[in-house]
Amino acid sequence: MSRARNTIGTWIGWAFFADLANGLALTFGYMFSRSVTMQYPDKEKWLPYPRYRGHHFLKRDEEGEIKCVACELCARICPCYCIEVVPYEDEKGNRRPAKFEIDTARCLFCGLCEDACPADAIALGQQYEFSSFSSRDLVIGRDNLLTKPGKAATGGGVVAARLNTKKDVLVETNEPQGYNWWRNIRRT
Amino acid sequence: MELIVALGLIIFKVALLIAILLLLPLPLTWVERKIAGHIQQRMGPMRVGWHGLLQPVADGIKLLTKEDHIPADADRFLFKLAPILALAPPFVVFVAVPFGETVSVLGNEITLYVSNLNVALLFVFAVIGLEVYGIIFGGWAANSKYAVLGSLRTCAQMISYEIPMGFAVIGVVMMAQSMSLLDIVRAQADVWNVVYQPVGFFVFFVAGLAEAQRIPFDLAEAEGDLGAGFHTEYSGIRFAFFMASEYAIMLLVSVLVVILFFGGWNGVLLPLPPLVWFVLKVAFFVYLFMWLRFTLPRYRYDQLMAIGWKVLLPLSMANIIITGIAFS
Repeated sequence: MSRARNTIGTWIGWAFFADLANGLALTFGYMFSRSVTMQYPDKEKWLPYPRYRGHHFLKRDEEGEIKCVACELCARICPCYCIEVVPYEDEKGNRRPAKFEIDTARCLFCGLCEDACPADAIALGQQYEFSSFSSRDLVIGRDNLLTKPGKAATGGGVVAARLNTKKDVLVETNEPQGYNWWRNIRRT
Repeated sequence: MELIVALGLIIFKVALLIAILLLLPLPLTWVERKIAGHIQQRMGPMRVGWHGLLQPVADGIKLLTKEDHIPADADRFLFKLAPILALAPPFVVFVAVPFGETVSVLGNEITLYVSNLNVALLFVFAVIGLEVYGIIFGGWAANSKYAVLGSLRTCAQMISYEIPMGFAVIGVVMMAQSMSLLDIVRAQADVWNVVYQPVGFFVFFVAGLAEAQRIPFDLAEAEGDLGAGFHTEYSGIRFAFFMASEYAIMLLVSVLVVILFFGGWNGVLLPLPPLVWFVLKVAFFVYLFMWLRFTLPRYRYDQLMAIGWKVLLPLSMANIIITGIAFS
């Protein structure tokens, strides 16, 4: 009985375009909901999570000395053979890399070099804006790797940023966390 | 002297009308893209000017500087003629469309219409019927399968939807006892036609959607299955002509819906100037067109034909009969 009434109700609804009205109401609601657009790189920028695997960086120890012992384990484990390490012996008699080159054009950012490293010297950091017009510029040397930004402390937020063609997408914000991008998403 | 002043006034009005109709697609494209963006939780154009306001200008410059490409095996004469044929009818129609009664400028009463034809409604439908030539020629001349398919669909669609559209307004003509758009609006001074003619309004609006080639009836340029339909092979300023014609027809259908069913420039509640009322109503219907576009999917071709012939045509016939019985 109630099912029959429901069917009749549905038919009456169709006759008066209730389904159409529902659809229009939904899109109207969406029209005034918040936009989920992240205005990158004009106004905003996404900060990666701490475990994000971005551009590699080399670490220094407390004395400011490079941590790498040039064991070449990273070069061995690298699935795309994009790391090239040449060792030498420094004044103190330690084994250090004379040359440490990563071809980021070939790198697949798997993070195995980070796992393999016995000296905790190499890791994948938070930088992800390093596109280039020439693949030659994507071969990064040792000194360059030492200056790259490390892992993000927090992350996952969207912060105010501004495009700077000379340098990078500049981040200029007081709150390091940024706002949570997911809060803008309407889920109904 | 009188004649020269009258003639000058008409020429001035026509020039103003053409300028408005040529320039209006620019803000309308911006509005459409903004509405599309916000309905889809995006921003729409944001980068050129404040909130992308200069985006249409950038688009116009882009279209003007693009290569004007004509396919190798195209019928060159028809290919060049088609955009003009598509653009001209919506402009011509506005000659017969009134925008208000009169305004007084410097003590002179100036009518807000170019001409008050006594068969204005007939003129409107006759000229709008010519619109299909531009599309057919454009699709045929391009010598491309997508363009031909698109124009064939358009031809069938326009012809089958013009019939219910024409029948739907007969109720309005019966109510006003006149085919002059001015008299039709005057007849609605107390009660708008939509109250007496809801079915007529519905049929007219749906058929108008189909006439304007808008979603859910944009089979002529169904991007998914036809590339871009009849204007697949067009580029540069010729493509812009087709777009301008599409926006002009959308505007025309909105204006006609307002004049025929929503009381033209007659206001309710708020004591606004008649022209403001008119513009507000037209703006609402233009918005409704865009709102529908980003809500509904496209109908299948057989569904389109079924709606036209099996639903709208009987509905419009019944509307005529009921109007005739009730108001005779």
